[in-house]
Amino acid sequence: MRAARTTGLTAVVLALLLASSYGADTGSAAVSRLAVLPNPVRIWRPGTQERIVVEGVREDGTFVADLTTRAQLKIADPNIAIVQEGGIVKALAPGETTLAVSVDSMTVQVPVRVDPGPQPYVPSFRNDVIPVLTKAGCNSGACHGAAAGKGGLKLTLRGYDPMLDYHVLTRQARARRVDRREPGRSLILLKPTLTLPHGGGLRFEVGSTEYWILAEWIAAGAPAPTSKDPMPTRIAVLPEQVVLAPGDGQRFVVQAFYSDGTVRDVTRWCKFNSTELVVAEVSQDGVANVKGRGEATINATFGNLVAQATITVPFRTDLDEKLFTQAETRNFIDELVIKKLKTLGIPPSGLCSDREFIRRAYLDCTGTLPPPERVQAFVKDSSPDKREKLIAELLQSDEFVDYWSYWLSDLLLLSSAKLSRPALLAYYQWIRTAVAENMPWDEFARSIVTATGSNLENGAANYFVQHKDVVDLTETTSVTFLGTSITCARCHNHPLEKWTQDQYYRFANLFARVRLKDGKRSGEVIVYDAPDGEVRHPRRGVPMPPTPLDASPIPPDYPGTRREYLAEWMTSSDNKLFARTFVNRVWAALFGRGIVDPPDDLRATNPPANAELLDALADQFVSHGYDMRWLIQTIMSSATYQRSSVPTELNAFDVRWNSHYIPKRLAAEVLADAIAHVTGVPDTYPGYPKGTRAIQLPDVRVASYFLDVFGRPKREQPCACERMNDASIAQTLHLFNGSALNEKLRSNAGRVEKWLKEGVTLAEAIDRLYLLALARPASDAEKQALARLLGDGDEQPAKLDQPPSREQLEDLFWAVLTSKEFAFNH
Amino acid sequence: MIRFDAERPVRFCDGFTRRDFLHVGALSLFGFTLSDLLAARAHGAARSNEDINCILLFLVGGPSHIDTWDPKPEAPEEVRGPFKPISTKVPGVYITEIFPKMAKHTDKFSFIRSVYHTATAVHDTGHQLMQTGRLFSGGIQYPHMGCILSYLKGSKGAIPAHVLMPRPIGPTGGNMPHGQDAGYLGRAYDPFVLNADPNDPKFKVRDLLPPDYITAVRIERRQRLRQAIDASLKNFEASPQAAQFDDAFRQAYTLMTSRQAREAFDIHKEPDSIRDRYGRTRFGQCCLLARRLIERGVRFVTINMFETVFNEVTWDIHGSRPFTDILQMKDLVAPNFDNAFSTLLEDLEERGLLKNTIVAAMGEFGRTPKINPAGGRDHHPGVWTIMIGGGPIRGGQVVGESDELGYVPKTRPVQPAEVVATILAALGLDIHHELPGPQGRPIPLVDYNIQPIRELL
Repeated sequence: MRAARTTGLTAVVLALLLASSYGADTGSAAVSRLAVLPNPVRIWRPGTQERIVVEGVREDGTFVADLTTRAQLKIADPNIAIVQEGGIVKALAPGETTLAVSVDSMTVQVPVRVDPGPQPYVPSFRNDVIPVLTKAGCNSGACHGAAAGKGGLKLTLRGYDPMLDYHVLTRQARARRVDRREPGRSLILLKPTLTLPHGGGLRFEVGSTEYWILAEWIAAGAPAPTSKDPMPTRIAVLPEQVVLAPGDGQRFVVQAFYSDGTVRDVTRWCKFNSTELVVAEVSQDGVANVKGRGEATINATFGNLVAQATITVPFRTDLDEKLFTQAETRNFIDELVIKKLKTLGIPPSGLCSDREFIRRAYLDCTGTLPPPERVQAFVKDSSPDKREKLIAELLQSDEFVDYWSYWLSDLLLLSSAKLSRPALLAYYQWIRTAVAENMPWDEFARSIVTATGSNLENGAANYFVQHKDVVDLTETTSVTFLGTSITCARCHNHPLEKWTQDQYYRFANLFARVRLKDGKRSGEVIVYDAPDGEVRHPRRGVPMPPTPLDASPIPPDYPGTRREYLAEWMTSSDNKLFARTFVNRVWAALFGRGIVDPPDDLRATNPPANAELLDALADQFVSHGYDMRWLIQTIMSSATYQRSSVPTELNAFDVRWNSHYIPKRLAAEVLADAIAHVTGVPDTYPGYPKGTRAIQLPDVRVASYFLDVFGRPKREQPCACERMNDASIAQTLHLFNGSALNEKLRSNAGRVEKWLKEGVTLAEAIDRLYLLALARPASDAEKQALARLLGDGDEQPAKLDQPPSREQLEDLFWAVLTSKEFAFNH
Repeated sequence: MIRFDAERPVRFCDGFTRRDFLHVGALSLFGFTLSDLLAARAHGAARSNEDINCILLFLVGGPSHIDTWDPKPEAPEEVRGPFKPISTKVPGVYITEIFPKMAKHTDKFSFIRSVYHTATAVHDTGHQLMQTGRLFSGGIQYPHMGCILSYLKGSKGAIPAHVLMPRPIGPTGGNMPHGQDAGYLGRAYDPFVLNADPNDPKFKVRDLLPPDYITAVRIERRQRLRQAIDASLKNFEASPQAAQFDDAFRQAYTLMTSRQAREAFDIHKEPDSIRDRYGRTRFGQCCLLARRLIERGVRFVTINMFETVFNEVTWDIHGSRPFTDILQMKDLVAPNFDNAFSTLLEDLEERGLLKNTIVAAMGEFGRTPKINPAGGRDHHPGVWTIMIGGGPIRGGQVVGESDELGYVPKTRPVQPAEVVATILAALGLDIHHELPGPQGRPIPLVDYNIQPIRELL
């Protein structure tokens, strides 16, 4: 046991004892010391309390066990504070003392200080009453926080507007809700306690803490909130990260940091939820129970503030460190991925073979299959940096431009549904040029958001032709560039997130002055900014100050247009969301799953699989000038990207943390092109020149059942969910019986026909086909197996040294082109 | 020439007529013995051996309860809306005048007028709740009722156990899953999606039959070759997406080699008089096809009356574009439903199928009692009305009632999970039987505190 190195015999014995009492799982996670959270304890005024969490700490500093219930807590001066059940320290009088915390023979002394606080203390509507109402669910979206309120009482969602709530509670309903003379007759005490009938049922009991907070506030004359009230500016959950085992419990404490410098324990007033119920559940008291292995994020919500803690439950704790320290690494991505894998106890797979790599790289970088000659040359090449060189070469190819222009066209929803053909082509050409010239992503986004002029000359202006109204622009812009959906807030405050309807209309007002007028040519629209125009808040009936999300409003003396202000904020390096959203999208394109998944849902409550990795990638992307090719090159050069898709016994279950490469089905367009390429029969798309490949189409409204059934997106909603790579019976019926594949095999102009004419032998046909479609030769055993199936039973296999019949060759092609090895990038 | 089709049995080169051989061969080729598996699975889950089926008509958009099956003639004008109540076959039960045909059949099904949910008032949450009984959270996606049935009882022959038509619900604004797949049970138990409009004169299940030039032997050979090619790789062992890809081949093969399945989907075999009776609309013909499928062994059919709520006349009567207004409901949506639903009940009864086929019709929420400034009504999950009958479900009942203005349940509030529990119980399942959830965590069909609506069983 590693503890022996520094702490001597007692520690070893202790560690062993602890290890045994916390189950085999924490065996390697033996506790070497205690940590008390928070430390020091500082309570902002007498009469309030602070929850203490006692953590067992492993030698490497990781928190591995909640020992609070086993700990003895003793306050030196009981006149200043006392300890209550469940690790609660209650402040009695101002002063300083110490708290002694001991578990078995480990002891920690924690300084405790109780500040005098405001005297006398007058309960605050904003900071005492609203949190009670929020925790009890009174102002939730399902109750009085709904857009229309409930039962005649309408509060702001989770109390975001205390002034309004105060007015509603004290002035409306003939002031019966708050009775200053007889506080006990106030409806806000009678209804939630069910003393009077209440549609929302019992929210708290008479005499509970909640009850007394409201009662004392009313008794104090129900003072109104003021702009001078201290405001909570952020919250933090302690412990922030713990490594536990199934069956463990963990309590959390949530601290709120106020604008007056005080820090208050708001655990009781927070709502908790877990992102992975199979890993951990959490009660509304902030106590989690570990149910399974993996990682769960515990979200704590206090008003509109959110903070997280992470519970990691390693899959294995008994693995040799070498599985991680000796794993191949190429760049910072690998270090962060391995770090995560080590925490979770998931050893990575080794690197993929050269043949797997070249096929993977071609498909991901260019959407095409590698030419057999290139595969052979690559395999023979013995230079150590050949993979990097290949990636660099692919990044310069025309096919790279095709593929990533299509990808960006998906993102920007290019479709003739709302754009005339000349407009669509101008937009597409603009994107292509940007990809070909490797326009930095910030410039790309800025060019779109601020686009003006003729949509035929400045293709980017079509963004505004396609999204004509402010609502559409607001919602599309936030999802496309910021990975954030604010749609719910259009009609009411976002029920799941922090966005309010006010914020929505502040953001929307940034687009209020965009105007369109018809140009002279067919399909031409001129985009310009009018000097005036406002978007009105539908309920308030007034315009809101134009403000980007989470930023300050446009200054009155801002020299540019509103859109320019938006673009400036959006692409500034302070706006982390912008770079994170993009790197996450690219990651999702290369791995089939975002670090945050779904890749366009970057909200606080949908945590990344590897937060450090997402941040590092985003930061590096910014410091490399938002260079998309640098980003793709860096990810593809990582050992993480180059890992084998063959799972090991220890990592087969992992789909989230990149321990191995997860095979992903080729996108509909790539699959169609690959089939056309291998069969030698190109598809024809009505309205586009012969030889146009699916991935080169600027539009998705080009008839193709194959593309539709294999999940081509409609480009109607800005949602990554539009593209479906899931298998369906309709797809396989189409491969079996549909014309797309069968007609290509039957064609007189295709490869089948050509090889028949050439008289290639079956062995040669198998070899060629494998190289072409799978980037590898077939083994002898495989050839023989295929020959047996193509012949008349085991006794009479087809002759490998003879040319196959047409039907045999067609069936061989069919089977290769429908195999997983072909249809997946692996 | 050897080929599959509905008229003739498949002949093999050696002259034997052995469609059945092919079928059995196909199954053994993939090495699973379905009956064993299902027998093991259903043990403990099935409460009776009787086969009860279900047709679920999902009224996408959310019908206004006040304008349909919970009229409020005494309410103020801005609430009661333009439609008058009419009496129905069951004394004392009134619905609005826009459903004259349904009124004649109220003895065959019951109303639940006090369904409510407390989740966010977007379509997607209601879709989840009404079809799976649960709101998705914490990373768990729950299975649709039909997928649960399919998982527990399997298919009868080659025909899929659960068919969804015409297409799954598309985007409805909330960007959430709609609860129409098998969720944690895995893709293998997803419904078979028709992906076609049975009202189309050229309707057929696309690609169900091989082209003339491909023989049965070749199809089988292609399958075997395909498997041989993948046999040498280990890369896909842990990939659910890859397993799903293989499942889709297996299921497609079983389907296309089955006469039962091909016949079942052939709506053109229905006489014109029947087709006219159901109404020549997408929804009407879906209802007819559902009856045909149930008759031939499908256990559960889900029909989405609409695919989305945008740019289509639906139940989503916000009053302003791209949505529908109240009067459009009277002209298009209601008559379509009234006719198809009534005909389905009549037809099932005439064929003796109603006694073992549940018919449920429901939307995802009701609509705001107060008519909005655009002359429509907005989302209101506070209370709404659904219909359910057939199988062991008692007809002619009214469960629960809403308050005078149709805001909240007044008596007998019913959660979506209770509706799901009622259907699952009526299907003969033990509603607290545990299914294997993610990471092997047992998840009961419905939560332990949920019970079926006893008044209906």
